[in-house]
Amino acid sequence: MEGSTGVDDLQAWLAECYPQSVRTAYLILGNRLDAEDAVQESFLRAWKFRDSLSKESSFKPWLYRVVVNTCNSKLRHDIPRREGRVNDVNLVDIATYDDLPGRIALSNDVMSALRDLPVHLRVVVVLRYYADLSEREIAIAIARKQGTVKSRLNEARSRLALHPALRSESSRSSTTSKEVTG
Amino acid sequence: MTMIDEDVLINALNDVASAFEISPDATDRILTEAQANEPPSRSRHVPTLISQPSRGRALLVAAALIVIVAGVSVPLFRSEGNSNKIAAFGPLGSRHASQGSVTTTAPPLAISGTGSAAALLPPGVSGKTLNGTGLTQVSANALKTSTSLKIESSGSIALTVAKGHVESAFTRLSKLATSDGGFVDSTEANVGSRTSGKFSYGTIVVQVPQRNFAKLVAQAQRVGHETSVNTSSNDVTAQYVDLQAHITALEASRRQYLVIMTKATTIEGILAVQSQLNTLQSQIEQLQGQLNVLSHETTYGTLTVAVSEVGHAHGSTPLTGFSKAWHDSVSGFISGFQWLLRLAGPILFAVLALGALFTLAKFARRVVRRRRL
Repeated sequence: MEGSTGVDDLQAWLAECYPQSVRTAYLILGNRLDAEDAVQESFLRAWKFRDSLSKESSFKPWLYRVVVNTCNSKLRHDIPRREGRVNDVNLVDIATYDDLPGRIALSNDVMSALRDLPVHLRVVVVLRYYADLSEREIAIAIARKQGTVKSRLNEARSRLALHPALRSESSRSSTTSKEVTG
Repeated sequence: MTMIDEDVLINALNDVASAFEISPDATDRILTEAQANEPPSRSRHVPTLISQPSRGRALLVAAALIVIVAGVSVPLFRSEGNSNKIAAFGPLGSRHASQGSVTTTAPPLAISGTGSAAALLPPGVSGKTLNGTGLTQVSANALKTSTSLKIESSGSIALTVAKGHVESAFTRLSKLATSDGGFVDSTEANVGSRTSGKFSYGTIVVQVPQRNFAKLVAQAQRVGHETSVNTSSNDVTAQYVDLQAHITALEASRRQYLVIMTKATTIEGILAVQSQLNTLQSQIEQLQGQLNVLSHETTYGTLTVAVSEVGHAHGSTPLTGFSKAWHDSVSGFISGFQWLLRLAGPILFAVLALGALFTLAKFARRVVRRRRL
């Protein structure tokens, strides 16, 4: 998708990327309202500065760069100054869509582990494993080198594996993989 | 290293992320706000630091470069200017006057106790020396005093004499000095390799009263064949007058303190006045010493005569031909190397400063880009 020429293009952006952007921001910020605020702000900023998107560069990493920067800004300035907003969405909500207690528990654990990750690691994990960006695209999105992304991903995965909430899950998955290979 | 399984992570993140419905009104709100804030014309310049380097940035970089280059070059040239100044007014033992043929020699004692080169040139004296004439232009300030002119003269002559006649030349020069009311300050004679048992070259330093200095120079030139003659004179009248005035003032102060001393009744008072008297006495003696040196230098002129046999390469003989070219080449090489060394420091500083500036600009650009997006 190239740089737009009007509100119509913004509409196309929103249709294509808004839901996933909100969910990505939610995973980074841990709060749905903050995520919606951040993404709204991000789309408006991206549209305002759409000329800075060159024709050669791909749209998705560029947009995620705006989203990540806005999230970082919120994490740095807005959220710490605010009195503790309830960390929604309660994962109990998942039960209404998907009645699988095991997955609920795991998701709770993952969210808790994500919150305990430093922001720079959390961002690369979310962009890689939720937004499905390649390492190169993540590098563009966070304005770092690809090697940095790779090392951050490794560090994040190691930390997640050592996190108390996920330790049982990681050992269980390794056991399962052994059984499969065996 | 244990890592969490990627599939597990993907499923879990998808589960968590899909835990809520996306409000359909949200996109409408964004569109409405975008339409409200849409700029009137698309041709308007969108401010961004990502797209193209602006003229303003280029100007900023150029200004920074100019500042750095100026910051480096001004101290460099200033230091070169200072070194030239020091060379012109520096220690007399090694200096050459601005005109190539004029050379001054060192006085036996330093005039100023401070060691400052500038102090050697008294205020009000231009110090412009005329080649060979021994005359000095003195500014009007110095001439206002009733004191007669105080001129210090010095010179050097290089002579060549016939083989085996170095000693006789020394003898003649000594006689000339003594007959003019002067004396021999020092002599140095050396035996060369070509002659056996006789001196082949040497140097004699003689001092004669100022009034006979020019006469001695003329007579000395006739002792042998002169290869170079350098004389110079320096007017130190103002300095002399200054020293005298200073001493007079200090002596007046000392007299007053002596009067006070007679009226002092307490031990503390006597000690305090005594301390002041000691200080004054010390200053008077120091200045008196300087005055004596100056007086001696202005009373006697110093002539250094280098005598060498014909064919002997004496240090003071001017180089010619290939040897001169070789000498010039070596000295040019050394000068160039010194210049490079002197330049290396500022260049290194400039490179470091530019590097720091570049890093700072890069960092600022990154920050601005993040903020913009």
